[in-house]
Order: sequence, then structure tokens, then C-alpha cells
Amino acid sequence: MTFVVPIGPQHPALKEPEFFRFEVKGEEIVDVDIHLGYAHRGIEEALSRRNYKHNIYLSERICGICNVVHTTTYCQAVEQLAGVEPPERAKYIRAIIMELERIHSHLLWLGIAAHQIGFNTLFMLAWRDREYVMDLREMISGGRVHSATNTIGGVRRDVKTEHVPTILHGLEKLEQSTKYYINLFGSDRTILARCTNLGVLSKKDAIKFCAVGPLARASDVKTDIRRDDPYGAYDALSFNVVIEREGDVWAKGMVRLREILESIRIVRQALKEMPGGPIRTRVSLQIPPNETVERTEAPRGELFYYIRSNGTDTPERVRVRTPTYGNFASMKSMFVGGTVAEIPIVMWSIDPCFGCNDRVTLVDSRTDKTRVVSFDELRRWRK
Amino acid sequence: MDSHEVAALIKKHVNDIRIVNDRCLFATSDKQRCGDVLLTLKGRGVTHISTITGVDRGDVVEVIYHFDCRPAQLNLKIPLPKDDLRILTITDFFPGAILYERDLMEMLGVKVEGHPDPRKLFLPDDWPEGEYPLRKEWREKSK
Repeated sequence: MTFVVPIGPQHPALKEPEFFRFEVKGEEIVDVDIHLGYAHRGIEEALSRRNYKHNIYLSERICGICNVVHTTTYCQAVEQLAGVEPPERAKYIRAIIMELERIHSHLLWLGIAAHQIGFNTLFMLAWRDREYVMDLREMISGGRVHSATNTIGGVRRDVKTEHVPTILHGLEKLEQSTKYYINLFGSDRTILARCTNLGVLSKKDAIKFCAVGPLARASDVKTDIRRDDPYGAYDALSFNVVIEREGDVWAKGMVRLREILESIRIVRQALKEMPGGPIRTRVSLQIPPNETVERTEAPRGELFYYIRSNGTDTPERVRVRTPTYGNFASMKSMFVGGTVAEIPIVMWSIDPCFGCNDRVTLVDSRTDKTRVVSFDELRRWRK
Repeated sequence: MDSHEVAALIKKHVNDIRIVNDRCLFATSDKQRCGDVLLTLKGRGVTHISTITGVDRGDVVEVIYHFDCRPAQLNLKIPLPKDDLRILTITDFFPGAILYERDLMEMLGVKVEGHPDPRKLFLPDDWPEGEYPLRKEWREKSK
């Protein structure tokens, strides 16, 4: 006999609501189904009703955590349509802010992952260190989260010379703590017990279901848009594409942690090699009919924009495919065969950009009786 | 494969090709030959589909498949007349397209034939039949 465990659509631990329907046999998950759309705001349509300038601010609000990568992708696409190239310095500033964003996103992931497995000390430590990077972002762009740095044709704020020592000092602290976390992730008994061999995504399935970002890289798929289809300053910056082979929650965490070190390396390099000069070119926003696609590597993976212009100051169509959307298809193979108690950490291992739930309703499909359990209760089942 | 290699590979199955640069090209085909393009790509080891875009162009709905041919991005366009909005599923070749096809069905009203799970994805289950939010008619109506 199987039970249906609906999860969602609300949970305060995650940013947006979503609904999952798990079919379980005893403790084992036999099937999973997702219902998206609880956070659907009609942004694709809204983007085609506003002009190119307004759309910068709208695309920034698609995702709070990875707002810079959204505006960068959008602005790069519009720049391609308009046939302009942003100044070199602007490309480097974009890369610096995007890498700081990746560091903050991965540390945020680490904190919540630690919380999901009941390791709250690590949660506090990771979020303490995340403050360093938030402070740097605030110093450079004026905003801790929404940087509003990008504009079509470049960036709006420069990285000032007097900021560089502070950034380097902040990076040093981040590097030290990241190395400590990597060491911890490879040796701590709690982490190893709760993360190894859980939610495994095989390399075959990662390729088959077109997984992107750290999820794919943790399953031994060497994919990174920064290397495969370099944009902005990434052509000139050197870094390694981090991969792990296991495909489990541990590997997904390790990929993200090791990527923080690579991001620190990129920021240092960009600060050193950043050319002088202007940070912005003026662009006429009456864009002739054309179409373009633009891809970038967001913290969660490949972010994709398609824009078609029609000769006015408003785009005809904007298509946005966020990395989490690209990773949903792989979910089933990560959950099926696992247990109910693994749901929180396996779900978080995708680093989903949506909400989960506050309570779980267990429905006995034989008697139709329902029982509501909280997410905390679900988490305690593991113990 | 770079753009020129992809273009050489698929040229007999497509009507026109526009090479933007080494890593990006657009091609237009039709739904009869779409399967041949997919088979050719699959045969050359292309496994990743970034997404599917639907664009309402007035009389036609353009379905654009975005394939990652490492490093080239192939954007394959299939125009479908509005009185015959049907296309075969590509999930047999690219299982990762399963959600994008559901998105295409509900947002633009393209009927994807043979789709293994043709339910709504983003829109609520009680969304009225025949209302497609990314169609031009809908935009006019909702202004």
C-alpha cells in the first residue's frame, strides 16, 4: 500500500512556495510529482509590456539571490541586439559582482543545508561569514542584495581604488573559512552520515535530464557556461571547473564549497587585471527587429534568456529559463528509492529557488484520513 | 561543434540558417523534417536542450528549440500556423524537454502530440480552456 505525502505549497525556510506530491511505501519514496506555479508572476509577459530600461529592474526581481546574474544576462542580450559592446572595465566589474554573488549564494546554501541536517552551529558560522561578502557587495554597489549595478551598455558604479584593499582583506577571511568548511565537509561524522549516498543523481541521468550547474557538476558532468560559452570578461579569466563524481548530497555540497575558492580566485584576478577607462556606453534603445539568445552561469547553473526586438523601445518577447527550472526534470531520479526523512536535505541539495512547505499532510489513501505534521517533525524522524 | 559544423550537419533538413557567430546560430525547419534534425543531432552526441521558447508571431506560433551543441547554441525554429498548432513531442530524443513542452502547451496552446504527461505546469488546474496567456489575443484582451 502506498501513501501520498503532499509537501507544500508553503514553507518559511525556502524563499518561494512550491508543491510536491510524494508517493511513499512505508518509509520509501516510490514516486514524486511537482506542481509549479505558486510563485508564477507572469514576468515573461510583463517583460514584453515594459521598455528595455524598465525591464532591467524587472529582471533583477526575478530572483533575489541571483539578481546580478539576471540583469547581466538581460543587459548582455540587449547589448547584442543593439550591436554595442560594453567597455572592458564594465565587463570586469560585472564579473566581480557576479562572483561575489556566487560566494554569497553558496554560503547561504551551506547554512541552510547544515540546518536541514540538524547542524545548527555550522548554519550560524556559514551565515556569519556570508556577512563579509554582503558587506563587500554593499560597498561596491550600494546594496546588500539588490545591487542595481547593471545597465544596458555597462555598469552604473565603478569599483573605486580605495575599495580594493578592503575587498582583498574580505576575500582572505572568506578563503580561510571556506578552507575550514571544505575540511569539515570531508571529515565531520554528522555531515558524512547525513549526506553521503543520499539523493544520488547518476551521470547518465544528469545528462539525460539536462541537469545544469553544480547539480550536474556533482555528477561528473563537466559543464560550466563561463568556460563553454564565455561571456563578458570570463574569456580572459582563468579558473577551474569543479567536478565531483559521486552525485550525492555530499558531492553537491563539495562542488559548491570548492567553487567558492574558484570565485575568490576570479575576483582577485579581475581586481588585478581590470583595465581603466569608462564603465558605460550610451545605447539607443530603439532597437531594430532582431533576436538573440544569451546564456550565463548563475550560482545554480545555466541561466538562459531569449529576446526578440521589433523596432520599438519594448521587446516583442522575452523568454527566461532559470537554472532551477532546468533541474526539475532530474528530481525524480534523486528522490525515488530514498526515504521520507531524506526529503528536506535532498530537496535542498538542488539549491532550489522556490518555496517548499510549512507542513506536511499525510493522506492514508485507504481510509482517506489526513494527518498534518510540521516540517520540524519531519526533520526529527531521521533521529 | 561550432556553428559552422552544426550548420553543415543539419543543412539538408532546414530551410535557412543564420550564423550569428562561432557559438550561436539560428535555423528554420518545418515539423515534417524536425525529427530528422533531432536524429542527426542525437547521432552526433548532442544531449542538452536548454529550453523551448514559443513566440506568437501573429498568424504563426514559432516554436524554438535551443540545443547546446557544445559550444555552439543551435536555435531551431519550427513555425506552426495558428489553425494547426500541433507538433510531435521530442521527449523520446530529449527527455529533459518534458517540462518545457508542458509550458509550451499551456502558455501558447500548442498541442504536443505524444507527450507522456500533458498536464498543466504553472497555471492552476481550473484555468479556463482555450485561454493562452502568451498569445497576442490574450494580451489585447487583458489590456
